[in-house]
Amino acid sequence: MADLVSSLKDLRVLEGLAAKNSVIHRLHPFAKLSMALSIICFSASFGRYSFAQLSLYLFYPFIMMALAELPYSVLLPRLAAALPFCLFAGIANVAMERTPAFYIGSIAITFGTVSLMTIMLKMYICVMAALIMVATTPISDLSAQLRRLHVPGSFVLVFEITYRYIGLLLEQALSMATAYRLRSGDRKALLMRDMPSFLGQMLLSGFDRAERVYAAMQCRGYAIDHIRQSKKKLKTADIAAIGLTLALAACGRFFIFW
Amino acid sequence: MHMSDALLSPAVAIAFDAVSAASIGISVAKVKGDVFSEKKIPIMGVAGALVFAGQMINFTIPGTGSSGHIGGGIMLAGLLGGVPAFLSIAAVLIIQCLFFADGGLLALGCNIFNIGVIPCLVVYPLIFKPVLAKGITSKRIGFASIAACVAGLELGALGVIAQTQLSGIAALPFGTFSALMLPIHLAIGIIEGIVTAGVLGFIHQMRPEITQAALNETGIKAKDLNRPIAVLAAMALLTGGVLSLYASANPDGLEWSIDKTTQNSLGEASELEAEGLLHEKAADVQSQTSFLPDYSFAKDPQNSAATSISGIVGAAITFAFASGAGLIVAKIKRLNQGKPAENG
Repeated sequence: MADLVSSLKDLRVLEGLAAKNSVIHRLHPFAKLSMALSIICFSASFGRYSFAQLSLYLFYPFIMMALAELPYSVLLPRLAAALPFCLFAGIANVAMERTPAFYIGSIAITFGTVSLMTIMLKMYICVMAALIMVATTPISDLSAQLRRLHVPGSFVLVFEITYRYIGLLLEQALSMATAYRLRSGDRKALLMRDMPSFLGQMLLSGFDRAERVYAAMQCRGYAIDHIRQSKKKLKTADIAAIGLTLALAACGRFFIFW
Repeated sequence: MHMSDALLSPAVAIAFDAVSAASIGISVAKVKGDVFSEKKIPIMGVAGALVFAGQMINFTIPGTGSSGHIGGGIMLAGLLGGVPAFLSIAAVLIIQCLFFADGGLLALGCNIFNIGVIPCLVVYPLIFKPVLAKGITSKRIGFASIAACVAGLELGALGVIAQTQLSGIAALPFGTFSALMLPIHLAIGIIEGIVTAGVLGFIHQMRPEITQAALNETGIKAKDLNRPIAVLAAMALLTGGVLSLYASANPDGLEWSIDKTTQNSLGEASELEAEGLLHEKAADVQSQTSFLPDYSFAKDPQNSAATSISGIVGAAITFAFASGAGLIVAKIKRLNQGKPAENG
């Protein structure tokens, strides 16, 4: 139940943020995608002990968040999704690599601890880079960009329909779960034996809904081949933003500062 | 089971991005060739959204006190056929990655491969479909669902282990990692298989034409793969042959054999070194600028600033400067706008 409500809220909040009008919002979607990917690729290329050098990439999320006027209260909680697996791998490294790397007073800091810190920092930078891109780009612009990058139109359409219907179907799931809870003495989770009919009903009504969607789309003259790519062009500011991010990311990777 | 960017090397991630992109391309071509393709697209979209919503509903696992949720790959394949189900799952994974930070952007290819390609394009045609080929009965649905869910999750988990090991970020050995991951996913697979069997059984009872139509879907044939395999082989050569030479955390075959040879001849670990001013200068420039220097610091990794107090202090100073720069930018923007902006 809590998952359903928070997912619904998350989707709406991100859409609201993407509709703002800051200097980052105004950039071309391709520029934002290139900037995010270059930061992610360069930071992913660091080794497991490169904590200090990697920290230079913190400038990207801090400055982008400020320029795009994005609230940390919305983006930071999303790190929780990426946290468990990274924490598992990082803690495993702490257990496996016990050789002291250096000492702070009499406390030994092992290579495993340094690698845990590096994984956590890398996770923060990569997740924030992707989230900043999504929180500053409306879904329609993202889809148009995917089309420009020659992703097949029918797949982009599946992606868009999935996104649009998630909100609707989450609401349906929420009302079904509420009805179930009220009839089952405030049970927090479904009984496993009730799951097949619960999901089955959802799927059947969903398929019927999809048929109606298709009929409505056809009535309005829909055909996959009619989907056209948008003609939005890169401006000087977009090229400058890509160039600057790439150059700074490359500097942070190629030259040793610490 | 979603992979994160932080645990992958670019070479491994890009290779799997290429494989997953090719799988999407082939699947789209396959669905487009279908006479009902246009009708299927909204169904695939809604089915993806249904799986997403279904994953948010927890159910109690009897006798354990814990709760679980569905994964959906095999369930969707049983309702739509392997290829359309794969496209739906791929769309869901992209949305989870972009909007919920569940799985990284660079790791998207790995996640689509582990959670989409394996269950929908490998396990479904090889295990699920043959079991039901002789006719759909509730027993066969039960057996096919459990076997397919277990195989899909175990192979997916194996994919996660292999990708992590190849990337060289996690230090956990293959055996220990497998011993931790595979039994957990075996249990999850059995539970998911039981729920999947229940859902498919329910739908078959209510609307048998849906499950029957899914079984009649033709799937991907070997001849569909000729061209993509050629392209992928070229890309694999490029990423594996060029990037991996720089990116490998371990010495490559040539380095290893040179190391062994010099160890044998000199009796101690050494590297082949060239003498002379030009070589020294070139080595100096290389140490300052080398890209992916053995996935560690360009200087001696064991004694570098990365693993010293100065490195940590440097990182703390960077953090202070970066957050300070963010605050200054926010302040300037507030002054320019003449109104407060919500920013940490």
